[in-house]
Amino acid sequence: MSEQVSTHGWQAQDEPHDLHSELLEINMGPQHPATHGVLRLLVHTDGEIVHEVTPVIGYLHRCAEKIAEGCDYRQWMVYTDRFDYLAPMNMNFGYAVAVENMLGVAVPERAEHIRVICAELQRIASHLIALGTFGLDMGAWTPLLYCFREREEILNIFERLSGGRMLYNYFDIGGLRFDAYDGFAEDVLDIINIMEQKIGEYNTLLSYNKIFVERTADVGIIDADDCYAYGCTGPVLRGAGVPFDCRKDDPYSIYDRFEFEIPYGEGEKGTIGDCWDRYMVRVREMYESCRIVRQALDAMPDGPIMAEDLKKLVKPPVGSLYTRTESSKGEIGFHIFSDGGARPFRNKVRSPSFSNLHVLEKVGPGLMISDLVATVGSLDIVLGEIDR
Amino acid sequence: MEATAIHELLKRRFGDDVLDFVDGHGQGARVAAARVAEIAQVLRDEDELDFESLMCLTGLDWDGYDESGKGKSVGILGYDELGKPETSDRVGEGELGVAYALYSHRHGHKFCLYARVPRQAPEVPSVSRVWPTAAWHEREAFDLVGVRFTGHPDLRRILLDDDWAGHPLRKDYQMPGVWQEVPLAGRSYAESKWGEDDVVLPDPGGDSGGGA
Amino acid sequence: MELMTDLFGKIFGDGLSPTGLLIAGGLTMALIMSLVMALCAIVFTWTERKVAGFIQSRYGPMRVGRFHGVLQPVADMVKILGKEDIIPAEADKPLFMLAPLIIFIGSLLAWAAIPFAPGFIAADLDLGLFYIFAVSSGAVAGILMAGWASNNKWALYGAARGAAQMVSYEIPLALSCIPVVMLTGSLNMNDIVINQQGGIWNWYVFHDPFLFLAFMLYFVASIAEVNRGPFDMPETESELVAGYHVEYTGMRFAFFFLAEYANLFLVSCIATAVFLGGWHPVAGPVVLPGLVFVIKAVLLVLLQMWVRWTLPRLRVDQLMHTCWKVMVPLTLLCVLGAGIWMMATGELG
Repeated sequence: MSEQVSTHGWQAQDEPHDLHSELLEINMGPQHPATHGVLRLLVHTDGEIVHEVTPVIGYLHRCAEKIAEGCDYRQWMVYTDRFDYLAPMNMNFGYAVAVENMLGVAVPERAEHIRVICAELQRIASHLIALGTFGLDMGAWTPLLYCFREREEILNIFERLSGGRMLYNYFDIGGLRFDAYDGFAEDVLDIINIMEQKIGEYNTLLSYNKIFVERTADVGIIDADDCYAYGCTGPVLRGAGVPFDCRKDDPYSIYDRFEFEIPYGEGEKGTIGDCWDRYMVRVREMYESCRIVRQALDAMPDGPIMAEDLKKLVKPPVGSLYTRTESSKGEIGFHIFSDGGARPFRNKVRSPSFSNLHVLEKVGPGLMISDLVATVGSLDIVLGEIDR
Repeated sequence: MEATAIHELLKRRFGDDVLDFVDGHGQGARVAAARVAEIAQVLRDEDELDFESLMCLTGLDWDGYDESGKGKSVGILGYDELGKPETSDRVGEGELGVAYALYSHRHGHKFCLYARVPRQAPEVPSVSRVWPTAAWHEREAFDLVGVRFTGHPDLRRILLDDDWAGHPLRKDYQMPGVWQEVPLAGRSYAESKWGEDDVVLPDPGGDSGGGA
Repeated sequence: MELMTDLFGKIFGDGLSPTGLLIAGGLTMALIMSLVMALCAIVFTWTERKVAGFIQSRYGPMRVGRFHGVLQPVADMVKILGKEDIIPAEADKPLFMLAPLIIFIGSLLAWAAIPFAPGFIAADLDLGLFYIFAVSSGAVAGILMAGWASNNKWALYGAARGAAQMVSYEIPLALSCIPVVMLTGSLNMNDIVINQQGGIWNWYVFHDPFLFLAFMLYFVASIAEVNRGPFDMPETESELVAGYHVEYTGMRFAFFFLAEYANLFLVSCIATAVFLGGWHPVAGPVVLPGLVFVIKAVLLVLLQMWVRWTLPRLRVDQLMHTCWKVMVPLTLLCVLGAGIWMMATGELG
């Protein structure tokens, strides 16, 4: 073997047959400049090609589920904000619906409508961050600033509603904590009217930009089978071509009264389930959220915002129930075990990003490092809800 | 397909390993822990069941669960008003359990599986070969509750640090006073000049759980 | 440099020998060029931040210095000079310290042959254009040194990519200037500029379609050469982790920054001299040649900034594909086309 000499001139030397090479083990460490949160990706690469990705999580673990066993159902609402801190209204919504399902209590109409409006506005705000930071990962600095400009308006509305810009604690078991302020409908209509035009702006600047399409189309393909197997939900599942949305297929609250479409990936720019599809699903979901908000505003009645016959200390009957709702990142589920007392026996939170991140272990190998970055960005994960 | 019908089907297949039907909110079946993986396989592969989606896998500690509905179950140990960690001599008893929430996209039906295992030997077969998403959920259940999943490809802690001792979501879990030489909340107060001299601090836990 | 040597000759009369005049003149020009580089850094960091701000629907620096934060670069410089100089424990110290200097020198040397105004050129080489390209590729060694000596895997990644990118994009960069050299019949920068006198339509960029294409290609290649804009994969892998200058702090990091903005202005100056008529105005007689030259170069710099803040980043393999499979063939086509054009219009000879 060592005496092998080829007839080709440029191969005239012996090939060293005992050249030791190994994969390069690098850390996309817990500190990421911009976005994602404290996630550590342990990556084994051969040059640019990734051979293995292992996400390491738990840097933000606060064991909120243990805290749940020590406080009331109403008190724990505050902790749900801190899961997906980019979409706290959706977290609040999920938990409120979960407990209300166990109690069997009917939420007043006005509260339901305001809830839907808040949840959809929150969905828009969350997707704005997803788009902006995804563009940032691709090197497009400007769309981020534009997205934050619009998000600012939504945050202002939420601040007037609940007092907080990022963490709201606005929903309550059985309704809402505060009523909508005077001028709420006008403010919401203002932002919705601008939103549709601005989404067109983002499309011009980023979505159909040739460089962006080349970076994201045919990259990080997660097909429907992988989604089912790894429990991916939300825009990841819809990007893979599966038109499944909890709001339509497992309806809660008053979503069955509204008319809206479920955008899903069709492989428009590349393959079904690539990064571009997931990105575009989010863009189109923003349009649909605007539609829902308009319908909810039109139909919003006056009335109370809290269920009347609900005690301050809420005690769901004995048993357990898993309830899921559609957050901006996917399906947020609460599996609550009750013993009839004021505190839950066990409150398990099933977060969408937890499973969405898991699929990276399957999809990562074979990508280039830049593609890995693109894929992680397209999954739109929030470490707050992964680690809880 | 109705949950009761699914329960019937499973009972026909697995006989005594499928225990009673759990009615009420989370409808499902209590099953013997040893057969969980096979039952899961049937639930996924059987045409009329077709549960291709595991929505949620929960590990929990049934220690001191009071079924009377008066809410007298064992609570958690926390900190008192002075910031001293509460201690307890109570040794955990009762069983550990796992709950699976399943959904079928094709049929649109839901089902739950409940399995219980003894505290001293909490072994449940892993369903990660049936639903790959379970790999991480089971790691979390192991991490926080201490249920061991046999046949799991990579059972190690996922949220807590690799060298953490104890399983926090157990009812008899007591906060360690110090971790890697950092005094944790409450204990540092107790040791400070405002604390009492003879405060009894809990042992950082001699549990066998943890580590890769 | 004749300007300098003449100036010194007037000042010292016969007191200095011709060699002494040369040395004095050369040192002064070197000093002036260094000052130009420093000025680039100061002016263009502010410009970049303001341009970025306005594109992104915000203001940029506003407070330092009364008017729109004009003293911001001064504040930045004071801050950087005050930083602790950290060298990683396992870093290769000599290489670590040498790398920024090599990059800086590579840039400074190239300034020697830029024709700002008639007579105001540090070294009027007959090989001017060739010299510029040859000398600015020395920076590649500096980048590799920086990445390797940092003892950081991500720095190494950035350095490897950066080196590959710079080396590759030099080819379309140089090739796109060949039609100009064919037209002028000389590599001398002064000759190239002088040949473009007589108003805007005499500028080489408007000479024929192939030269227009060559200018476009030069512009794109120059952005890639400076590691900017859509081609900044080597250094702004810092979105996620780090670029080749991650382990540098304080003044050493400032050198990298200085070199980047100086390079930005350098390639714009080359483009101005080679394609856009150098110091010749749009129409009319030559008036304030230095100012005209600088204005044209600054406009190109602004264009580069505009491109950077608008477009996303190309992936490394896409970058290389663009260079080798798109730009090199196109530049060769330009050379061929320009040659045929010249033969057809009888300009050869």
